Amino acid sequence: MNLQVIVIEGLSAMTTAASLFIIAAGLSLIFGALRVINVAHGTLYMYGAYFMATLFAASGSGWLFWVGLLVAPLFVAAIGAIAEVTLLRRVYERDHLVQLLVTYSLFLILSDLALRFWGTASLSANQPPSLSGAAMVGGVMFPAYDLFVIGCAVAMGLALWALLGRTMLGWKIRAAVEDPETLAASGTNVKRLFTLVFAIGSGLAGFGGAVIAPLQSVDPGMGQSVIVSAFIVAVIGGLGSIAGAAIGATLIGIVEAVGIFYLPSWAPAFIFVAMIVVLAVRPVGLMGQKLGY
Amino acid sequence: MDHSRKMIAGLGSLALAAAGTVAFATSALASGSVTVGITTALSGPIAELGQTGLQAIELAAADANAKGGVLGKQVKVVSADSNLSPATGATNVRNFILDNHAVAIFGPVSSAVAVAEEGVAAKYKTPIFFSTSNDVKLATTNYTKYMFQVVPDTHMEPAAVARYLADAVGKKHITIATITPDYSFGRDTVASFLKSLKADGVNYTVKAQETPKLGASQYTSYIAALIAAHPDYTFMGQFGGDLVTLTKQAEGFGFFKHTKPMAMYGRAQLKALKGKVPAGAIAWDRAPFWAMKGPGMEKFSEAYNAKYHEWPSAWAVMGYTAFETWAQGVEKAHSFNGDKVSAALSGATIKTIRGPITLRACDHQGDVGEYVGTIAAKVNPKYGFQTYAHSKLIPAKDIILSCKITTAEQPKS
Repeated sequence: MNLQVIVIEGLSAMTTAASLFIIAAGLSLIFGALRVINVAHGTLYMYGAYFMATLFAASGSGWLFWVGLLVAPLFVAAIGAIAEVTLLRRVYERDHLVQLLVTYSLFLILSDLALRFWGTASLSANQPPSLSGAAMVGGVMFPAYDLFVIGCAVAMGLALWALLGRTMLGWKIRAAVEDPETLAASGTNVKRLFTLVFAIGSGLAGFGGAVIAPLQSVDPGMGQSVIVSAFIVAVIGGLGSIAGAAIGATLIGIVEAVGIFYLPSWAPAFIFVAMIVVLAVRPVGLMGQKLGY
Repeated sequence: MDHSRKMIAGLGSLALAAAGTVAFATSALASGSVTVGITTALSGPIAELGQTGLQAIELAAADANAKGGVLGKQVKVVSADSNLSPATGATNVRNFILDNHAVAIFGPVSSAVAVAEEGVAAKYKTPIFFSTSNDVKLATTNYTKYMFQVVPDTHMEPAAVARYLADAVGKKHITIATITPDYSFGRDTVASFLKSLKADGVNYTVKAQETPKLGASQYTSYIAALIAAHPDYTFMGQFGGDLVTLTKQAEGFGFFKHTKPMAMYGRAQLKALKGKVPAGAIAWDRAPFWAMKGPGMEKFSEAYNAKYHEWPSAWAVMGYTAFETWAQGVEKAHSFNGDKVSAALSGATIKTIRGPITLRACDHQGDVGEYVGTIAAKVNPKYGFQTYAHSKLIPAKDIILSCKITTAEQPKS
């Protein structure tokens, strides 16, 4: 393997990792704060992608990409907030089976609405002209847009780290995980806080969909296909841990790239092998903590 | 009940819920009308294939009804989502026949679902027509006399592409890479393509073979591996949205400047890629309306566009053909009885919008060819997407398996 191949394989692994992290981060945030496994997360991601593709179909103008990046997360966050207030708020105290069924129902409802609104045909969003070319990295040509995706993942990770570790809101979210009753007694509206967390998690899914849309076909199945990978990343990293999601995504990206290069016909299985090995060694995931129930 | 048991019970409930998301239109065998059923993928990643097929069958039924119906009876179409599940597909067929009294079934997108549906249709002696699923097993190891296939099978399609490439490269040595979804259709297609190349005398070396999962959203690592292999030609077995995703991501690497891609670029992919399909790429389609001459096809494509505000996919063209096949079988048999329709169609030549199609008596496979061509540099202004600059029909006689081969694999009873 020469240096150019190493560079291109390394960057490809980072692109895969970045895409996975962008999707898994919101999933992990919601589970970490609310202890809800949101099966509908992939559908919210799909809504972000559809929003971006619709914007392009309506105008075909490149600058709308940047508008879409800002508005798509807000649009999806609003859907998430409505879902939290009307459905999820009622099942936080119930066991995981009920929560799973509720989020699965949400997945079915949102999927069906998307099918009715956008139809079955594949849509597509173009890359903005400023990011549509190739860039020279380490002597190899690499898609500029893929580098942008890696940048988005890093920015998202830093923003979440700052939000959870350096702001009052982050402190309240962590306090709500540990002891919601005490937090409520201190005057915080915990219900509103949970709605906000779910909206932020949903918005991250929407942002992920909007970022990834120019890289792939936007169709009714895209949410389904991505949610399994997002769960694997979150489980490897430790459900609820943003840092874990980043490590899990990086691990999967590297394992997949190495597998594809050396044993291509077995590559899809490597991800599951990695998950089994991690869970066998550390059942709560790399950065996860044992739940108190 | 502990957590894991609850989880298993929950997943079981989810599976039942998914299977139960089938909605049937109410219909019954009423005097003056008959019912036909279509069970296909109407949701999920390949819903576009099933949906456009359904639309074409509904259009065909409306056209037939406007001319007085089939054998004097108006035709009602009922539909259900197979959810890409063989069990759901089989249940749909059973419900169509027992509850809706359907006299014919139009099959699904997935060949795995088709196999399940074929068995149920045969049990109730009801003709079933496949216009999208195309596994060669449907007419060989799973053959029943009630099955009719109006789509090139999984042997014919890659054999046609191999023949086109053989004509293009002659005796020159070429290097090839393949990338195809990791499931039976993808693996069978690649194996058949390489086998056909050898049979056609092409001097080639395989440099890389990649098999990402079906529905993959990230191909970058696979593309990186293909770039390292430097192939002259890259055979891409992806279809539907997967092909759009792969093309977009490979284009970003400039991959197509160094290899000539070969893929099933149909109407939906050409439209979604908005003029970004690499010009000169070798493309194939089972029934591209723009490449098929004749007044019937022109009239159909215009009518389809007028009704659904989009040009027909190959799945739509073949769905319409499937209905025409059944309707003419009924007219020939002077009956809706499954045994009589099957007997009337076996070996018959049917007039369709694609031209005459003969259904071989030995396996009920239609003698339908495959269209292969190269992608035009510019978007066709009438259709709004790139079409094929040069296309030719590889006729069925050049690519179809012989009756000796197919009948040898059919059930003996």
